[in-house]
Amino acid sequence: MAALLRGLRVGRALRGFGSVVFPKTSSPQCNGLRRGFHCAALRLQEDKDKSIPVPPSSTTTYHEHYQEAPAPEADAKEAPQPNTSYADQSGEQGEEYETEEQLQAHILNAALDFVQLHGWTLEAISAGAETLGLSAASSGMFQNGAGDLVLHFIAQCNAQLTEQMAEQHNQVQLGQAEPKKTAEFLRDAVETRLRMLTPYMDNWPQAMSILLLPHNIPDSLKHLSTLVDDIWYYAGDRSTDLNWYTKRAALTGIYNTTELVMIQDSSEDFQDTWNFLENRIQDIVNMAGAAKQAASTGEAVAQGLLGAAVTLKNLTGINQRR
Amino acid sequence: MAASIRLLARRIVRDAFRTINSSVSVRIVSSSCPSNLSACRCFSDGAADKSTHFGFETVSEGEKAERVYKVFESVAQKYDVMNDAMSLGVHRLWKDMLLHVMNPQPGIRLLDVAGGTGDISFRFLNYVRSQQERVARRTARANQTPSWQEISTSYMTPTEEIEMETEARESRAVVCDINKEMLKVGKQKAESMGVSSGLSWVVGDAEELPFDDDQFDVYTIAFGIRNVTHIDLALQEAVRVLKPGGRFMCLEFSKVTNPLLARLYDAYSFQMIPVLGEVIAGDWKSYQYLVESIRKFPDQETFKQMIEDAGLFSVRYHNLTGGVVALHSGFKL
Repeated sequence: MAALLRGLRVGRALRGFGSVVFPKTSSPQCNGLRRGFHCAALRLQEDKDKSIPVPPSSTTTYHEHYQEAPAPEADAKEAPQPNTSYADQSGEQGEEYETEEQLQAHILNAALDFVQLHGWTLEAISAGAETLGLSAASSGMFQNGAGDLVLHFIAQCNAQLTEQMAEQHNQVQLGQAEPKKTAEFLRDAVETRLRMLTPYMDNWPQAMSILLLPHNIPDSLKHLSTLVDDIWYYAGDRSTDLNWYTKRAALTGIYNTTELVMIQDSSEDFQDTWNFLENRIQDIVNMAGAAKQAASTGEAVAQGLLGAAVTLKNLTGINQRR
Repeated sequence: MAASIRLLARRIVRDAFRTINSSVSVRIVSSSCPSNLSACRCFSDGAADKSTHFGFETVSEGEKAERVYKVFESVAQKYDVMNDAMSLGVHRLWKDMLLHVMNPQPGIRLLDVAGGTGDISFRFLNYVRSQQERVARRTARANQTPSWQEISTSYMTPTEEIEMETEARESRAVVCDINKEMLKVGKQKAESMGVSSGLSWVVGDAEELPFDDDQFDVYTIAFGIRNVTHIDLALQEAVRVLKPGGRFMCLEFSKVTNPLLARLYDAYSFQMIPVLGEVIAGDWKSYQYLVESIRKFPDQETFKQMIEDAGLFSVRYHNLTGGVVALHSGFKL
């Protein structure tokens, strides 16, 4: 029976059959030539054209051994290799993905479409993989499971926001747009970022709880802090003193509380949330103003007291300088 | 006390050897299997010149396949009992771990090579069934407060359509083994457990699987790959029959990392296991072959390299029980 199937296979190869493109290697040792991915390359190419660029700040490492002793990353041998080394024998394949990270990013992008149906779970990732022509078992690549999906999504949203802010910044530099006031800029940035969550609002509490799992906290905190840092940077903050910390802490608080308000907001187009955001930013601005006033008032009061003390000394004759 | 046990063991060995040699020779004569020879014919030309290891012996490649076949033919009836005795039941945990890491979604197809008595396949079917039950329970709970939209759509779609959607995702497991005796034992187990749907039993050689390309979502080989004569051929076959995105998983004995544990493990392997084999299954040499073949198998890193050379990506391994068993996993991307 094995011989029969062998014959069938040979016949198929001769007739050029087979929908799956499959470079045949003569020996298993020529590993340098077979580093491309074989599957559904054309469909992946379409996806690649319309997908958002992969954010550079992807934090999860997909190639750790489970052993305690840290071993060199398995992907290190793939990542630094240039594109030219992936010699592609069959001309039918379109563009291929150079690294596993790109393929994983594509699977996660496809999985986002299924979040409404399955929630932020491995089932969504499996469904996403199936739309790309991969087997559902490929969701096993994601050791962190749903955490990988959520972290990928927020990294993507942050990258989008940073792109938009950089674009606006360029336009201001070129003189094509007016620079915004700080409060307005902050409000717009936070609103833009939170609006990216609206398609997934039904399941967003599940995503937030996944981000709060202990093994995900370092990554989620990193994403949050880079987000807040980027927003302040494009708002024009170049402070180098304690203000750097207070500003970012304030914006982190605003962002988190607004997100929480947004989850239980049922008003039209989340209008309540934007009002809340506006009020909080106004609070911060007022507090900053009040702090400055208090400082100057304090100075004035101190000077006044000093003056009164000197006058008293003069009147009572204690003053020795005549 | 250890010394006296060793003396006792040696005496048993000496007696056993005499009985074993006679019984093995009887078995060689009686087992007239033409399929045996056809399996060897695949590697006939030139294989007689190349030699490989059979435990600590050196044999020709053609002979190895034949001898492995005989080993498993003789241990088939007592295979499960011996597994429990030798590993003190821990092999169940290893196999459960394999399933846990696999985390199969409903509707996927599993190929269990060297599946023999079907342990992995039974666990797979149970896992998928319990997952489906969990999903059904969750949807039932969610359906208890349906929105008016859901009620109206359920009135509009005919019931056959709804049923068809749920039945489309039935998972299937195929158990493939080169040895008919092992498959026979597995089929008997399936009958006694009442498992019938979604399970097939196929005779096949891991180096040349009787399946088309791109058939299976998951390919597992549990404690079987060290018995294959050409491991790289088996890996290539695995890559061939897996669908794109499919997963290769291999559970196999490997090198123990801790030196103290390694000494204990070696002592246990070479002193206890063959004795257990003789006492329970009446077969010293097969279990001697088993422990020797474990020593001959490449270690975790080398095997990982072999898997990558075959063309699988994202290859990782997980040491179980301190390295006694390693679970390797790779994807066909």
